[in-house]
Amino acid sequence: MVNDSHPDPKNNIGGVHKQAFLAGIWRENPVFRSLLGMCPTLAVTAAVRPALTMGLCVIFVLTCSNLVVSLMRKCLKPHLRILMFTLTIATFVTVADLFLKAFQPRMSEILGPYVPLIIVNCIIIGRAEACASKKSVPLSILDALGTGLGFTLALCVLAGIREILSTGAFFEIQVLPVQAQGGWFQPWAAMRMPVGAFITLGLLLAAVNLLSARKS
Amino acid sequence: MFPEIKHFVRQSWLLLVTSFCFGILIAATNSALAPTIKQNKINKLNELMSGLVPEAARFELVGQFEVITAKGAKATSNIYKGLSKSGDSICYSFNGQGSGFADKIELVAAVDKNFRQIAGFDCLSSNETPGFGDRIKPLLWRRQFAGAPAVKLKLVKTGDPEKIDNEIVAVTGATVSSQAVVNIINNYLMQIKEQMQEKGLISNGQ
Amino acid sequence: MDTLNIFITGFISIVLINNLVFTKFLGICPYLGVSGRIDMAFGMGMAVTFVVTLSGTLTWLVDHLVLMRLQLEVTRYVCFILVIAGAVQLVEMYLRKFFPRLYESFGIYLPLITTNCAILGLCLFVNLWGIDNLPEAVVLSFGAGVGFTLAICIMAGIRDTLKLADVPQCLQDAPITLITAGILSLAFMGFAGMIK
Repeated sequence: MVNDSHPDPKNNIGGVHKQAFLAGIWRENPVFRSLLGMCPTLAVTAAVRPALTMGLCVIFVLTCSNLVVSLMRKCLKPHLRILMFTLTIATFVTVADLFLKAFQPRMSEILGPYVPLIIVNCIIIGRAEACASKKSVPLSILDALGTGLGFTLALCVLAGIREILSTGAFFEIQVLPVQAQGGWFQPWAAMRMPVGAFITLGLLLAAVNLLSARKS
Repeated sequence: MFPEIKHFVRQSWLLLVTSFCFGILIAATNSALAPTIKQNKINKLNELMSGLVPEAARFELVGQFEVITAKGAKATSNIYKGLSKSGDSICYSFNGQGSGFADKIELVAAVDKNFRQIAGFDCLSSNETPGFGDRIKPLLWRRQFAGAPAVKLKLVKTGDPEKIDNEIVAVTGATVSSQAVVNIINNYLMQIKEQMQEKGLISNGQ
Repeated sequence: MDTLNIFITGFISIVLINNLVFTKFLGICPYLGVSGRIDMAFGMGMAVTFVVTLSGTLTWLVDHLVLMRLQLEVTRYVCFILVIAGAVQLVEMYLRKFFPRLYESFGIYLPLITTNCAILGLCLFVNLWGIDNLPEAVVLSFGAGVGFTLAICIMAGIRDTLKLADVPQCLQDAPITLITAGILSLAFMGFAGMIK
């Protein structure tokens, strides 16, 4: 019989922050639940390394854009806000692309035009509109980190499945012995092609639906 | 006029200020990283060319030649001279491109210093079907080109891949991709050889 | 005659062989969302075709006449997205004034086209492929829109028939659409090698 009429404010803030961070990872996972950002999900997940690189880029752009939008949320004119969001995101994507070209040229080549396509990734504009333009800076940053992490995890799971089945390697480390090198595993070349991407994502989404239906 | 400008500024001051700040951010990042990006491109080409001719210590650009592609369009090819540690020229290399099965194939090929023998080729970029056309990338297939004479190469479907001659055995199930590579090398090699002979950079005697 | 040949092969290549949806994974979000009914799908396809042709042309012009002349290539992404947003705004105003009923029927989808990966994606691909003349850029942009319309209408037709099938609960909506898209992309792979 604890008197809970005055809940501890510090505990409450911690709770809200924790919620903001964890929501993006499972409950509101952008790929598996909200079905946003499908284009990079299918395009870069042929192997785990590009998927991880794309995920980290999205975390960077999402965090910076949420930070900037949250800082200027009090001064935003409603009819210009989408333009402001787009401008902010485009700038940080350009910066991220330059860094990628300079320090990870091989990944930059593999990812190709999908890095600038982060600009039109619905996840980032969605978070800016729904969260950063309304909430304080710390909450916005935590939301960005959580959503970005959820996105990266989703990409890596999909990429992991595709890479293991198409080459027998995970993150370029051989896991299943391939027949060409004397093993038993015959790689599924289809996994590297678009058909593998679509079907794997479809089956993963079905699995997530099944899991959440069982939970509730 | 003035109240209109004032209204405009009051509505869009944030837009103007942030555009200015973002512009500075992009410009600063670009000027800081542009040299690294340029160096990366040069490094990549050098890496590929050194892979083809390990004895070359460094590569020097000889010039840019104009080549007519198989489709009749004009393309430029960069010709590099490979120099050994002591500075003697030991090979030449050039890049070529053409259409493969799925998309464009870009490759870099190396020949000996008299344009008599092909040292080999490597793919700069290709998007061929995984498992089929993709097999033009690994060394196993490309080895056939090493030591082949620098004449018009012929693609055959069956034969001995170990034999060093002007016949190249195609990848099973990827005849179009293999033919594309042979066509690109033939096309560029013949035209560049002619232009090099015209410029007197290599001897005319065969 | 040669130029016409290049245009025709370019058009066929981007509609069938390098279809934006099935090989480059562009425009998946509206593809999953709008392909439920064939009339909505066709409308979306038409809107995308119009906007992508306009944007492809405008971004090519901006790229070649302004950015490359002034060596401002690093601002390419920002400029492209601003041009696209502006083009969509223009289309919206034009439709609202002259075709109000059409404007009403589009609803939320028209402003949403700005964030359609297919538009920015095509502008970037035209840049990546080094297209150096305006007519070819226009033909490719138009072809991209036609390819998207083709893909979305085929999917709408299939989903119409799928409604009569007994799809398990966990597979309904997005998962079965994705699996169908996978099989369609496998079918479209048959077009590869059509053009030498």
